[in-house]
Amino acid sequence: MALTWRAVALAAAGILPVLLFPVPGTVVVWALVVVAACSADALLAASPRRVALTRQVPASVRLGETARSELTAVNLAGRRLRAVVRDAWPPSLADGGTLVEAPDGARVAAASARVVPSARHSVDLPAGDGARLVTPLRPTRRGDRDAGPVTVRSLGPLRLAGRQATIPVPARLRVLPEFASRRHLPSRLARLREMDGRSAVQVRGEGTEFDSLREYVVGDDVRSIDWRATARRGDVVVRTWRPERDRRVLVVLDTGRTAATRIGTGADGTGAPRLEASVEAALLLSALADRAGDRVQVMAFDRQLRARVAGASGPRLLPSLADALAGVEPRLLETDWPGLVTQVRSHVAQRALVVLLTTLDPAAVETGLLTVVDQLTTTHQVLVAAVTDTEVAALRAGRGSAGAVYDAAAAARAELERDAVAGVLRRHGAEVVEALPDELAPAVADAYLALKAAGRL
Amino acid sequence: MTALGTPPPVTAPARGATVVGDGTTAAGRAARRWRAVRWWVVVLAAVALVVAVLAVTRPATSTTPYAPDNARPDGARAVARVLEDRGVDVRHVTTVDDAVQAATEGATLLVAPSPLLSAEQVDALAGVPADLVLLGADDLLLEAATDGAVRLGDTLDTSAGTLAPDCALPAARAAGDVRLTASLAAAPGAPDVVTCYPGSDGAALAAVADGGRTVTAVDDPSLVLNGTVLEAGNAALALHLLGAHERLVWLVPDPFDLSTGDGTGGAAPAGPTLPRWTGAVGLWAGLVVLVLAFWRGRRLGPLVAEELPVVVPAAEAARGRGRLYRRARARGHAAAGLRAAAATRIAARLGLPRSADPTGVVDAVVRASGRDPRDVAALLYGPPPPDDEALAELARRLDALDGDTAGRAGAARPTPGRPTPGRHTPGSEVPRS
Repeated sequence: MALTWRAVALAAAGILPVLLFPVPGTVVVWALVVVAACSADALLAASPRRVALTRQVPASVRLGETARSELTAVNLAGRRLRAVVRDAWPPSLADGGTLVEAPDGARVAAASARVVPSARHSVDLPAGDGARLVTPLRPTRRGDRDAGPVTVRSLGPLRLAGRQATIPVPARLRVLPEFASRRHLPSRLARLREMDGRSAVQVRGEGTEFDSLREYVVGDDVRSIDWRATARRGDVVVRTWRPERDRRVLVVLDTGRTAATRIGTGADGTGAPRLEASVEAALLLSALADRAGDRVQVMAFDRQLRARVAGASGPRLLPSLADALAGVEPRLLETDWPGLVTQVRSHVAQRALVVLLTTLDPAAVETGLLTVVDQLTTTHQVLVAAVTDTEVAALRAGRGSAGAVYDAAAAARAELERDAVAGVLRRHGAEVVEALPDELAPAVADAYLALKAAGRL
Repeated sequence: MTALGTPPPVTAPARGATVVGDGTTAAGRAARRWRAVRWWVVVLAAVALVVAVLAVTRPATSTTPYAPDNARPDGARAVARVLEDRGVDVRHVTTVDDAVQAATEGATLLVAPSPLLSAEQVDALAGVPADLVLLGADDLLLEAATDGAVRLGDTLDTSAGTLAPDCALPAARAAGDVRLTASLAAAPGAPDVVTCYPGSDGAALAAVADGGRTVTAVDDPSLVLNGTVLEAGNAALALHLLGAHERLVWLVPDPFDLSTGDGTGGAAPAGPTLPRWTGAVGLWAGLVVLVLAFWRGRRLGPLVAEELPVVVPAAEAARGRGRLYRRARARGHAAAGLRAAAATRIAARLGLPRSADPTGVVDAVVRASGRDPRDVAALLYGPPPPDDEALAELARRLDALDGDTAGRAGAARPTPGRPTPGRHTPGSEVPRS
């Protein structure tokens, strides 16, 4: 049983008889009239439980893009269905009333469907008829989102009152990482090709492998002339080299408690968790390394393995990676670094580039990463990539008042401590990259390219 | 390139299962609702039952002393019942208004002890045309009712004694001996006063013939009480006094009664001040508010819950340390932090090793910026600033020095366009002064 504003209007209309016959009995009679009208209207409404509901959503959507939840409602009750249907979704998916119509295709496809800016649809269906109700979804957070129930409020012919039923219609939408850092990929791929082309003038050295023989052109390094082949051919022939391929790259995302901290300042005073920047960096690095011919593995670990992608390459890599990382959430746990080393050892036998996407919080590093970094650097090349905080960087620049200067001093001190920790890690043989959230992914990609150019993979 | 990072777009939406209803029946829902509310129904029914039982079993008697419907020892139901059986119409009133209205000529007005009566009320009671019987009256009432002919004696002795009538009053003669206190005295020179039952300090009963009516004062109100009415001739005296007329008005004043016998009801509002349709319109407004509450109160389906990431601002630690610096006025620590950060950054930019000593750093900075060596040394390694202004000034001068070295170093040797990833802190790019 649910009332509408019309019932309130009916009750308010009672002021006329009350003013004509100003005795309490009039009000009692009018109250009975309202109750009777609402009850009759609710009884005459079509049953909200005799509506066939089908929900269609895409399996996944990338963060920042819009999706549509299509709810098909077919009236199976023998009467006309006048109803308000709510297609409920979690708040982070709800479009805040700013519906952006798709340019062309979606509109044509949804010609018979009605699109509303909120999740409430008003329908009026004759018996046996159906309607498609489209609810726009605009995800604002990564992860799996389960749909809420569908609520049908069926109103009577007078629309005074109605009956309401909340019906669970299971659906799930996976929100994939945004991969906003893919805009950095073309420039990094160009540098990779540059390294490839430059190989002819490079001296043979560690990190390169023999590629092919070709004719000498002016400008080539004379030290790369292959005299044996030159003697055979009669022409001067040089050897070309290219960066090593088929190296192993293992990206490890630390999903422990330090990944849960909010960095930067969002609209409501809170930014995204630190893990989001790590996910971006992992995606960009994986895409780049895959293009460079290396074998990529990705792990998310805190005290246990949360996600792992291995063996995928080429066009299958990024979809499977995005799928696996979509559901990774930071846990409020201390990361088990010895366990992480065990995981790395069990999954990578040969030398590999191990990229640890974590943080350089001095206290956490001293008790965690520093104790195990030696075990990794003996067999692997370790790259520690840490996200710094936008807000701390802003504090560091504060000069406005005495308080701001004290804050700046504190931020400077924190920066020095992080530098010290980074220095210790470097002395243990690890590379350290530290950058703001938006710059971490390109910074990690650059560090990877530098290591590859230096043949240190 | 286009497929990079994007999963294969799902062209056709996944077709979900069709759901009809929520698997419940009307009977099932009714049963579920009944299970949800049954304990409340049981509790409310129990409360209603208890109230009903208490209402039914409550004795129809009061506990007010001297009241004719009070069966306890301090009540007077025995006398009232006997009088009613003898055909006397006993009317129990609690306000002076009612008493004055009922006590017309040919009736008896009994006034129970009432120490809280005001002067106006006493005057109203004294002026009734009916016969008056005053039980345990105070001086005020006695004087008003008898025109000063009877007054209370000076004694404080309240012990009851058996007294003989010793007068010509028919009621007293018929009753014989009674057991009452006696402290009434006739005023000297008041001829119409008949005093009966004289005791050591006064009389127990005094009657004054006042024109067509009789005013009888009894000193001891226990004359009519259930607990003492059977002592000696008390009952006979009471019946004779109260049963003299067909109608008896029995006034036990309510302590909160303010009426003064003029029919206005004391402090009650003098007539209606609100329009007569107020009640109906108020009820109507209540009905509208109720319907409105029902309309807004029913939510269109439940809220959808979502797990949100915890809120742990990363900058909290730095802010906390800054506040500690400020509260402790730790300008030395703050300045040391700013200086060390600036020196580290400048040294890194100028290509100095991490192990460079202060002299080496100052030399390099002087070469890069062209400043006075003593100035640079004081800036980077000087004493702590004495106050907050000096600290802010130090921060600004460090920024300026940083800018100077950056400009000179950049002009001296072109740096690669891309900054080294490990040292990138754009937050420290401050405006040059």
